[in-house]
Amino acid sequence: MGTVAARIRVMPESTDINLNDLKQSIKAAVPSAAKLHAMEELPIAFGLKALIVVVLLDDKAGGGTTEVENAFSKVKGVESINVEEVGLI
Amino acid sequence: MAEAKPHLNLAFIGHVDHGKSTTVGRLMFETGAVDPHVIDEYKKEAATKGKSTFEFAWVMDSLKEERERGVTIDIAHQRFDTDKYYFTVVDCPGHRDFIKNMITGASQADAAVLVVAAPDGVMAQTKEHVFLSRTLGVGQLIIAVNKMDATEPQYSEKRFNEVKEEVGKLLKMVGYKVEEIPFIPISAFNGDNLLKPSANTPWYKGPSIIEALNNLKMPVKPTTLPLRVPVQDVYTISGVGTVPVGRVETGVMKKGDKIIFEPADVTGEVKSIEMHHEEVPEAFPGDNIGWNVRGIGKNDIRRGDVCGHVEKPPTVAKEFTAQIVVLQHPSAISAGYTPVFHCHTSQIACTITEIKAKLDPRTGSVKEQNPAFIKAGDAAIITVRPSKPMVIEKVKEIPQLGRFAIRDMGQTIAAGMCQNVTPR
Repeated sequence: MGTVAARIRVMPESTDINLNDLKQSIKAAVPSAAKLHAMEELPIAFGLKALIVVVLLDDKAGGGTTEVENAFSKVKGVESINVEEVGLI
Repeated sequence: MAEAKPHLNLAFIGHVDHGKSTTVGRLMFETGAVDPHVIDEYKKEAATKGKSTFEFAWVMDSLKEERERGVTIDIAHQRFDTDKYYFTVVDCPGHRDFIKNMITGASQADAAVLVVAAPDGVMAQTKEHVFLSRTLGVGQLIIAVNKMDATEPQYSEKRFNEVKEEVGKLLKMVGYKVEEIPFIPISAFNGDNLLKPSANTPWYKGPSIIEALNNLKMPVKPTTLPLRVPVQDVYTISGVGTVPVGRVETGVMKKGDKIIFEPADVTGEVKSIEMHHEEVPEAFPGDNIGWNVRGIGKNDIRRGDVCGHVEKPPTVAKEFTAQIVVLQHPSAISAGYTPVFHCHTSQIACTITEIKAKLDPRTGSVKEQNPAFIKAGDAAIITVRPSKPMVIEKVKEIPQLGRFAIRDMGQTIAAGMCQNVTPR
């Protein structure tokens, strides 16, 4: 019954990665069980920016954020994935 | 200019059908955080359909739809104000698969409202969430005994007291001071005891939910604890040098500090700190930073290492003891089991070398010494040996670095907190 919003921080491999390209690749990598809700750039430090990606998942479906994490990890140019927060909407 | 109200992060926890979302919705509604146009729209719709009663559920659904239509990254946050505070609410998911995210996630709840339906009392998830809130270091709790309108008879004081005792035992077991925790009989659906005392519960003399929220204390930031910054990633940035990135969990980092990374066992000096692309002289708990270190190369440190001051270095465990609660496991867990422990930013395979004791979930006392196995629903004290050096701290000393989730077969098997460490 519930929809879970997961806020995921995607770190690029380096400051040389084009974030617009990365956004497109992330968009294409969202698995069918999840729905992309929003994406924003977040300045971190020394020119390095993270992408904050929010996806919606079904609370009852099971599996949590694993499938999305695995899919995003495989995207070229991604250094790491951190699920920062999950909450029902 | 009016001074901004202090802000608190509030988590709503409890069993899946016990009315968490309805309670959040009712609070939003009672505090005026629901946009009036949602209410107006409802009234119009109700009029055309000939319904005269106020269907609160309709408002809830409309709110959800509105949020889904938006494109904000803050979708999981609901906000409301009381006289004293400004609250950001996170409604915790019910499925166990999200527990790992709550343990290793970035947001720390300052307080939690545990919703327990009076007709059902304590359910499996109630237990899990109580244990988790303790594991996550949530110091302040409010217990909302919900669905009081559905007890037999309605608004039964006897049933309220039974649930209060049952939940109280559970809270005591994990170490909460029950006498300091308010238990409030409510009906989120009808609005009883949410904002003001309800005529339906004349026997209840305690605070309403809003009053209990106003009675919460602002938590103190753990600035006096030793510095601990788990490394999320490490970069080499041209013209700058080596830049680890992470969130300060405890303590304060200043420019010029002599720091050490463990288990890498390398030392360096903080050349500069940046947050949101701006240089800051010091960083505090909760700050997401990148810091430029002198004397350390990108390949000397990695994700999962923890940065601290050289005088008080992070503890590298050869072995540690922990209290865990088993959330799910297809069979049984016995000594020799080697799942992956997710602790701060590290993920390390660890062997459970000994199950020292099984605890009685009702009293917290030892039910069985050295049991041969434990299974789903059990709480236990275990000894753990990491397969490689790992930073973990005693939960009593540095709680932020003392909690972990145990994962195996794509599931969160257990959650736990470290009690004692045998250093490397």
